[in-house]
Amino acid sequence: MGKKKSALLLVLYTLLLALLCVICTVSFNYGTNGLYRFSSILELTDKDADLGGEYGANGSYGGGGYSTVYYPEGVISAKEYQDDLGGIADEAERADYEAKYRAYANGTLYLEVGTACNEEGEALASFSAAFDAAVEKISDRYERLHTDGARVSVRDDYTVEVFLPQMMENEYYAVSRFAFTGELSLRYGTSEDTATDALKIKVGETVADYVSGVSAGASGGTHYVVLNFTDAGAKAIANATESAGSSSDSSDSSSSSTTNYLYIYVGDTAIISLTVSEPITNDALYISGSYTAETANTTAILLDTAISGTENDLAFTVGDALQIPAAYGTNALMWLYISFGIVFVAMMAFFFVRYRLLAFAHLYTYLLFLFSAILCVWAIPFLYLSVEVYIAFLFASLLLSAGNAMTFEAARREYALGKTFASSVKTGYKKSFWKIFDLHIVVALFGFIVYFIALPGLQAAAFVLGLTAVFSGLGVLLFNRFAWAIMAALSKKQGNFCNFKREDVDDE
Amino acid sequence: MMNKRSKLLYVWVAVSAAILIAGIVLFALFGFNTSLDRPASKTVDVSYNVVVELSEENKNLLSEASEAAFAANGVTYEEKLELEGQADPNSSSQSEFYPTGNDFTLRYVFDADVSSEALANAVTAINEAVDAASLGTGASVTVTTHTLSLQTFNESLWRAAVAVLTGAVVALIYVGVRFGVGCALTGLAAAVNDMLLTLSFFAITRVPVYAFAPWLYAAIAAAASLGLWLVRCMKLRENAKDPAFSALAADEAVAEMCKATDKAVFALAGSALVILAVCAACMFSGGAAVFAGALVPVAAALYSSTLLAPALHVRVKAAFDKIKAKRARYTGKKRAARGEE
Repeated sequence: MGKKKSALLLVLYTLLLALLCVICTVSFNYGTNGLYRFSSILELTDKDADLGGEYGANGSYGGGGYSTVYYPEGVISAKEYQDDLGGIADEAERADYEAKYRAYANGTLYLEVGTACNEEGEALASFSAAFDAAVEKISDRYERLHTDGARVSVRDDYTVEVFLPQMMENEYYAVSRFAFTGELSLRYGTSEDTATDALKIKVGETVADYVSGVSAGASGGTHYVVLNFTDAGAKAIANATESAGSSSDSSDSSSSSTTNYLYIYVGDTAIISLTVSEPITNDALYISGSYTAETANTTAILLDTAISGTENDLAFTVGDALQIPAAYGTNALMWLYISFGIVFVAMMAFFFVRYRLLAFAHLYTYLLFLFSAILCVWAIPFLYLSVEVYIAFLFASLLLSAGNAMTFEAARREYALGKTFASSVKTGYKKSFWKIFDLHIVVALFGFIVYFIALPGLQAAAFVLGLTAVFSGLGVLLFNRFAWAIMAALSKKQGNFCNFKREDVDDE
Repeated sequence: MMNKRSKLLYVWVAVSAAILIAGIVLFALFGFNTSLDRPASKTVDVSYNVVVELSEENKNLLSEASEAAFAANGVTYEEKLELEGQADPNSSSQSEFYPTGNDFTLRYVFDADVSSEALANAVTAINEAVDAASLGTGASVTVTTHTLSLQTFNESLWRAAVAVLTGAVVALIYVGVRFGVGCALTGLAAAVNDMLLTLSFFAITRVPVYAFAPWLYAAIAAAASLGLWLVRCMKLRENAKDPAFSALAADEAVAEMCKATDKAVFALAGSALVILAVCAACMFSGGAAVFAGALVPVAAALYSSTLLAPALHVRVKAAFDKIKAKRARYTGKKRAARGEE
């Protein structure tokens, strides 16, 4: 490669890396009084519930998550009890209210006599059993969200504390919907008040005999919820909706048709209302609308778990919500970046000492690898920054560094034997190609297989491991060789450039 | 020329077996110590609610009153959080949380063993201090203590276990195709051993971990084990092609392999250990525990790739060499018979 061509390519490569560096890592305010903000890719990347910090011009918090408490019927918080009591002026009413509740857990909760506890303030066995069943159902719902960081805890024996990470787009939707309990029912009619059971469930049967399951799906960017009916369910829904779309008001000379609706209930709450313009004759009901992937999934989980619900399920009220900062502390993200800085400097120090200016080839390859990884973690919807993802990235970084060192050493050995510089590099790559290929393919295979089976956050880390292993392989075998070629072409003494030496041969 | 470590296969197997059995028994009895996830803790929430505007002065007053009450009652909190109240999630038309601007909670987290009585006394003292202070019109303060117990999500645990095992098997099938079935079998044994050793370490020592961490560590153990064993396999195959080494017996071939690759294996594992140690040292909070825990699987992978796997591979290679020799004799006899015809 000619010197001019090399210099031009090197300048272009440097400019590309500089541009990527600014886009990926530099955030700043601009405009009058710093009104606007340029947010780097790293700043925009989702952080899991363990990492977080204050980003943005307005100091908004990124990372962490939201927590709230579900109170079962018959249980109220100390705050609600005090507020209610404070609002009653009449002494007799006040006494009645006080007699209605018993303090529980040092006055943290108040249990309603007859519903949740007896006169002595001891929880009723039936209430405890119903609460345990409800906790199991709520846990099941949150687990099925498959969201890294989602947590369900029993608080003070008789309330449920739930937590969802801020990186979810519709965490509010999930928290509010998952509080609904009771059985799934489908009602059909012209209004919510007059709608009747569409499935005509007989005595001794449950909704499970009519609805086999509910799932979420997507097609061409549209997300939907699918209700799958059993044969009996398909028949029942077809019978219930057979009059849909036909003119029903014979007295009206304008032959206007009445709008019919299908309401999907969980307990006493209508979750979905559908306009039915023609009979439903399929064994699956596809419901689309303004769903996102998360809201469709949340709705499907809610409806699916409600199939096994009963009318005796405990009802819940949602309490105050709080924003919870990152679990690893306020500055965890900054320390993570600092740790990366130290590792990066140590790595470069090793390469500069061992290979002198050839370390620049490794530096360019590594920076390209780093920025590609940052861009991918930001752009791929299910990826986010977490300690697990960072460990996977470090593992691939080690792979890239080892791969580059392997090719440098192979070329060094060839050069020492007396070969020309170009021949040494060529032979070095040839000798180490399959080693590097095998090493990377095995790690990438492992990463992608784990990704396909595991759930978040191991899934995210495994995908990043697989992806960065591929980047590392390409980096070592392609980009590093390219950087080496254009940099070495600018040097007069290419052996010195790489700190390569010939073997001393004693002439006797 | 069998080297010393290859002769000690039974010692390495015994060491691994002892650790694994102890680990399995203790895991069955107690599970992992996931106290970093706070499966049981007590919290005191000092909730401050105003109609008009939150005052920094009042926030500080609550904070000072609470901490003085805890000190007076001899209880020490482990964590203090200042939490912003959000829109209550009870509207089906809303889709996002947002700060209400007039709800604030000071949350003090205590160990589960902290005396409930002492906390109750502290709460009384905080309430008295709040009553004595003037917090402005419309302000209300509620102080409560809470006990938490985390629910386990089992699906993520078993899927992680299946994922790591399947990943290791598939990767080793590739190793089998490229380097021979013997190498794949030894690699599989080493990877499974490293995963179980890592999990056993945490079950035996009861080192506190996050609930998600054990399977992350198992995955690291498998990946590190695969990587290090692959370095050995590459040399073994390279030597097999070299006329100077191809005629060596299994023990000699493995000894040569170890001699040539020890430096690379130590360099790789050492670098990984140093990187993780640096990250653990840099993170002062919970993240440090994740990095520190990750040292264990790398150490396990180093152990097996240095001691157990080479010793095991001597036997595996010898068995495969025997089969190969038998097959070669059989093919030779067949050819000879065909020649006679």
